[in-house]
Amino acid sequence: MIRISAKLRASLFLASLGALLLAALAGPLTAGAAAPASAAATEQPETVCIQCHSALPDKLGAPVNLWRQSIHAENGISCNGCHGGDPKNADDAMNRSRGFLGAPKEADIPAFCGRCHPGVLKDYLASAHGRALGKGGPTCFTCHGNHQVLKASLDLINEKSCTRCHSFERAKTIRAAMQQTEGYIVGIDRRITGFQAIGVDTDRLGKGLFAVRNRFHTLFHDVDVARVRAESAQINTELAKLDRDLKVIEEARAKRKIAGGIAVAFMLLMAALVLLLKKTYD
Amino acid sequence: MENDGRRKFLGVCLAGATTVAVAAAAYPVLQYLAPRSGAQGADKLVFATTDIPEGEAKFFEYAGAAAVLVKTKSGNIAALSAVCTHLGCIVQWEKDKQDFICPCHGGLYSAEGAVTGGPPPKPLAKIPVSVAEGKITVG
Amino acid sequence: MALLKRVYDWIDLRIGAREIVKKELTGYLLPRNINEWYSLGSVLMVIFALQVLTGMLLMVYYVPDAEKAFRSVTFVMNELPYGWLIRLCHAVGSNMMVAVLILHMLSTLMMGSYKSPRELNWVSGFTLFALVQGISLTGYLLPWSQLSFWATTVATNSANAIPVVGPYLVEFLRGGKLVGPPTLGRFFAVHVAVLPVVIAAVIGAHLFLLKRTGISTPPFGSLETKKPWRPDSYSYQHHPGGIPFFPNYALQDLTSICVYFAIFLAVVFFLPNMLFTPDAFVPANAFKTPAHIKPEWYFLANYQTLKIFPSELLGLSIQAAAMTFLALLPFIDRSPERHPLKRPVFLACAIGGILLWIGLSVWGHFS
Repeated sequence: MIRISAKLRASLFLASLGALLLAALAGPLTAGAAAPASAAATEQPETVCIQCHSALPDKLGAPVNLWRQSIHAENGISCNGCHGGDPKNADDAMNRSRGFLGAPKEADIPAFCGRCHPGVLKDYLASAHGRALGKGGPTCFTCHGNHQVLKASLDLINEKSCTRCHSFERAKTIRAAMQQTEGYIVGIDRRITGFQAIGVDTDRLGKGLFAVRNRFHTLFHDVDVARVRAESAQINTELAKLDRDLKVIEEARAKRKIAGGIAVAFMLLMAALVLLLKKTYD
Repeated sequence: MENDGRRKFLGVCLAGATTVAVAAAAYPVLQYLAPRSGAQGADKLVFATTDIPEGEAKFFEYAGAAAVLVKTKSGNIAALSAVCTHLGCIVQWEKDKQDFICPCHGGLYSAEGAVTGGPPPKPLAKIPVSVAEGKITVG
Repeated sequence: MALLKRVYDWIDLRIGAREIVKKELTGYLLPRNINEWYSLGSVLMVIFALQVLTGMLLMVYYVPDAEKAFRSVTFVMNELPYGWLIRLCHAVGSNMMVAVLILHMLSTLMMGSYKSPRELNWVSGFTLFALVQGISLTGYLLPWSQLSFWATTVATNSANAIPVVGPYLVEFLRGGKLVGPPTLGRFFAVHVAVLPVVIAAVIGAHLFLLKRTGISTPPFGSLETKKPWRPDSYSYQHHPGGIPFFPNYALQDLTSICVYFAIFLAVVFFLPNMLFTPDAFVPANAFKTPAHIKPEWYFLANYQTLKIFPSELLGLSIQAAAMTFLALLPFIDRSPERHPLKRPVFLACAIGGILLWIGLSVWGHFS
């Protein structure tokens, strides 16, 4: 009877030791999972533009809500970022001497957007799309929309959009060539972010991916199939390098887990040996 | 008696296991504390010839230690270790006498690094140096 | 072997080593019904020793400068061979120390070991608990990440509720109006130079008290005749016919230490990120408060208590009252009965208190 209760007590002891330690530590685990990694988008004070226009009807009020859903709103680029003017003063909000530009004429649209996106402007102007500017060719708004500008993605190249002007065939080939690279970039980005959140120094990898992504994005405005294919191949080799670097980290971490498993098993073995030795003295 | 044998066996097992555990714990610690190789590599260094006027010396770090580049009045260029071979102080350039003196115990070296007086047992170590197209390459 | 024996003889002739061994180890008798819970003190001493050791190793590369601290920790974690292992051992070890300390105190509570004549053991142990919380709090700031920066801001801010001196106290703790480089300097000094020495000294006092009073007999299945403690003269509590500390109980200590190491290493290798949110890997930014900043798990109950009371002063006073009550428990609970089942009021209060603490912690975690 006494021996049984002693055994029971010993197992109770081990169980509580383990359970309490783990239970106590388990809290922050879920905290880490629940808390989004990025803080909320920077809140901008409401400008006078929004104050007036959100109350205006139709054409004058609609852009406010469209803008709110845009990537520009997400990144804190407000009306005056594109249209100019003084966002703090209602009297000067639309004063041309304060840099107010109003809405651009169709032919001026690429230059209008290109003030902040100079690289894209250059790529666009060099492409078949850009060369057709003012001769019925597409402007930025044709594909990206105006106020509700979304984060650029390959989805913008789609049959419905492209067939407004020409057949989808060539666009489809270009899109297919870029699809794999896009998936590659998204996958590597996710792995880098994952590592960053658990303390791996991903500074160099992040910068590498940023450069590759930028290079890839210049292709979006090129409509030359051969060039897109050639560039995509080069970008893929760059990405393969990043992929290899990530694999090295992943392998190192897998090795740590194996070493950890051995260490834990070894300590349990030691515990068993000491316990057996103790029993010889009971 | 049966207990004695078991005790001895378990004791030997535990002693072995403890040795393994200590070694397994010591290895990472030694690796952690080991000096970082490659952090102070013996890379080549390049100076412009205009960096050093005639008769002057320029001190710099080379392969993790103090070194000096000297251009004598006759235009000879030499790169030397600046660590005195006596007890490891850093030698100073005496422009007026065109030689090196060690401030610790008065060791004297010529501009080429040869011992000219005092306690140093050996000349200053020479570092390979080459001059081409207005550039001095050390290493 | 023969050589070892000659060395031992040589030492024995000079300092009487055999006499000490006989008195303190083989002849140091413990109650026959002693149980595993009595080994947690030894486990805690090993944890503390390991914290000191890993802390010393971290100090080799850590730079206590607001500009460089985060970078140096990242360097230790990523570039140095096995730097991650040493850092994780230190970070996980600090959490384990608090967890095992709580278990140690719970076993003391349940077995009534804090009662007369061991009031001083309890008080010194409680002091150690507070000191360990202090060393954890000061160490938490040192990586200078968003998590450590803002957790320290919140923690130091709670002193504001103290009347009159509160605001000055906060400024004094921080070394400035806000947490900043001066805070890092003082927290570093307290963490590496002040508290370790104080903790080691109080551990010494705790052990001294234990040895002078003699170890308590567990209240379960006691085989010893109960001799009530008479407070008129000092007497060491002997356990005649008990089991020797060495080798018998020392082997129990070692077993518990090995089991502890197995659990500890499992966390270090498999679950280290339980302790870190992604904010722990973003350098501190005094102009950007991240969402969801929470203190460490063992402060969650305190944090939630502060939040649920309408006035911070009230919340703080209640915490202070609870802490004082616990610290002075042996002077309040004076009955000699030590078996938990024969102390229904105590048991109900203890279980209620533990559930309240867990409840507040969970609430604090999800609020």
